[in-house]
Amino acid sequence: MSSNKQDREVIISIKHVDISFDVGQKKKFVAVKDANFDIYKGETFALVGESGSGKTTLGRAILRINPCSAGEIQFEGKRISGKISHAEDREVVRNIQMIFQDPAASLNERATIEYCVSEGLYNFHLYDNEEDRIAKVDKALQDVGLLPEHKSRYPHEFSGGQRQRVGIARAMIMNPKFIVADEPISALDVSIRAQVLNLMNKLKAERNLTYLFIAHDLSVVRFIADRIAVIHHGEIVEIAESETLFKFPLHPYTISLLSTVPMPDPIVERTRKHIDYDPSVLDQSGEKREMREIRPGHFIFATSKEMKEYEEKIARKERELGVNR
Amino acid sequence: MDKENLFEFAAFDKLESEHIAAPRYSYWKSVWRTFFKSKFTVAVSIVMIALVLFALIQPLTSGYDPTVAPNINDASKKFLSPSSEQLFGTDNIGNSVFDAVWAGARNSIIVSFVSTAINMLIGVLVGALWGFSKKMDKWMIEVYNVIANIPFLLLAMILSYVLGAGMRSLIITMTCTSWIYVAYFIRTQVMIIRDREYNLASKCLGTGTGTIITKNILPYLVSVIMTYISREIPNIISYEVFLSYLGLGLGTTNASLGRMISMYTSFMSGYPHLFWIPVSVVALIAISLYIVGQKLADATDPRTHM
Repeated sequence: MSSNKQDREVIISIKHVDISFDVGQKKKFVAVKDANFDIYKGETFALVGESGSGKTTLGRAILRINPCSAGEIQFEGKRISGKISHAEDREVVRNIQMIFQDPAASLNERATIEYCVSEGLYNFHLYDNEEDRIAKVDKALQDVGLLPEHKSRYPHEFSGGQRQRVGIARAMIMNPKFIVADEPISALDVSIRAQVLNLMNKLKAERNLTYLFIAHDLSVVRFIADRIAVIHHGEIVEIAESETLFKFPLHPYTISLLSTVPMPDPIVERTRKHIDYDPSVLDQSGEKREMREIRPGHFIFATSKEMKEYEEKIARKERELGVNR
Repeated sequence: MDKENLFEFAAFDKLESEHIAAPRYSYWKSVWRTFFKSKFTVAVSIVMIALVLFALIQPLTSGYDPTVAPNINDASKKFLSPSSEQLFGTDNIGNSVFDAVWAGARNSIIVSFVSTAINMLIGVLVGALWGFSKKMDKWMIEVYNVIANIPFLLLAMILSYVLGAGMRSLIITMTCTSWIYVAYFIRTQVMIIRDREYNLASKCLGTGTGTIITKNILPYLVSVIMTYISREIPNIISYEVFLSYLGLGLGTTNASLGRMISMYTSFMSGYPHLFWIPVSVVALIAISLYIVGQKLADATDPRTHM
C-alpha cells in the first residue's frame, strides 16, 4: 500500500508545528500542537476535524498567513515558515494558492470577474500584453466551465457554484503547484457540490496538482482524498490512507467522527448509532503521546500503553475482515 | 403516429445554462439612474446648482466691495425695502443687499468647497493607511487624542490673530485640525472591512497593501465618504458664518454673510429683511447642498440599485 512511500516526492513537509495566538497579555491560545506530517506530490491530503479544531489555522500557516510559533513548514525542501526573503515569499505565493470556503465573501463585490481573475496575473506580471492577459483570463474561465462573456460581470450576479468556480479560476491562473482548499464546498448547495469536486479532480489530473483538502464532512473526504489526517483540539490524532481509515479506525475520536457520517441507505441509517468521544478512555498516566506508525502509512497519536491496545484492536479487526497487511 | 416517435431527445448544451440573462450591471450608471429617479432630488439639484452658479458668477458682474460705500451720504438710498429696482433693498450705508449677499455666499462656498476638498483628500489618504496598519494605529491614536482635544474656537482665534483675517487663513483654520476627524472616521470604516475574507484572498494572490486599499477597500467607502462630504460642506459654510459673526472669519475687507448677519442684527426691529435675507440664503445653500449630498450618498450605496 505505502511501500512506494520512500520514492514519492514530498511537496509540503510540516515539522513539529505549533501555532498559537496571543489572547490578552501573556495569555496564549494554542490552536495547533506539534503537527507533523508530509504531503506527497500529486495526492489529495485531507485534514478533517470539528469546528475550532485548528484545521483552517494549519492550512493558513502553509500560506504564510498565520505564523508558526514553533517548528517549521517546508515547501519542496525549502523552509517557508518564519522570516524568509521577499523573493522567496513571492515564490511561495505563486506556487501555493487557496480556494476559500465562502465564495460570496472571498470575491471583491466591487470588481468585475475580469479583475478578480486577473489579480494574480497583474501582481506577478504573468502576461506579455493586454491581449495575452485577456486570452489567459478567457482560458481560465473556460477551464472551470464559465464563459468569456462573464468577464464584465460582477460577483453578485453569479450563483454560488459559479462563484466558487471563479475562485478556482483565479487560483488556477497562477499555475500553482499546491492548493489549500479550505472547505471549498461546505458553503455550496448540495446539488452542485459534486460539480465542484469533479472540477477540482479534473484540474488536479490535468495539471498534476497537490491538494490539501480541509473538511468536516467525512463522506466528501472519502470521495476525494488519498490520505486523511484527523485533527482534534489542535492535535493530529490519526493519519492513514482513506480506505484504511474507514476500515480500521483506531483512535476513539476517529471512531466517533466516523459514526456521524449519515448513510444513504435508510435501513442502515436507522441502525446507525452515534458514538460520543470520551477522552477518559485514553491512557491517563500522563505519558507524553507521540505519533506512532502502527501499520505502514497508518499513524496514530498514542502513548505506549494505548499503542498495545490499538495493536490488539487492529489485529482483531484484520482477522475479522480477513485482511493481511 | 406511434408513441415512440412522439418525443425526441433535445440537444443539451451544458454551457447554455451558464449564461446570465440579466442586463449588464455598471456601478456608476446605476448610481446616476438611482439618483435621477426621484423628481424631488432632481428639483433640489437644480436649485442647488442654480444657487451655487449664481453665487459664483453674480459677484463678478456686480463688482461688490464691502469697503466701498458710494451712497453713504445719500439718505434717500439707505434702508430701502426690497423692490423691483433693489431686489433685496439696501442697507445702512446704502449698498445693495442683493450684491452683498451673493458676494458673501460666493466666499462661503469657495471656503467650504476648498476646505472640504483638502480635508477629504488628506483625511481619506491618512485614514486608509491608519486603518490598515496596526503599527501606525498605535501612535496615530495618540496624535488624534492630542489634536482632537484642541478647542476649535481657541484655535480659530489664535490663527486669525497670527495669520490675519482673510480667505487663506480661514481655509487654514478650517483644515489644520479637521482632517484628523475625517481620518479617524475613515480609519474605523477601513478597520470594519479590512479583515473581510476577500482581502485575505487578494493577499494570497500577492496583492500589495496599496492595491488592496484602492481596489478592495475604497470602492466600498464611496457611499460613506459621500455622506461625510454632504455633512462637511454645509458644516463649513455655517462655521464660516459663525466665525465671521464673531469677527474671526473673513475680516472686514471680504464680503461675508456672517459679518452681514452680525451687522444687521441691530436693525432687526426696524428693517427685519436685512437680517432674514442673508440668513435665508445661507440656509437655502446649506440645505440644498446637504440634501443633494445625502441623495448622492444613498445612490452610491449599491444596495439601492435593485
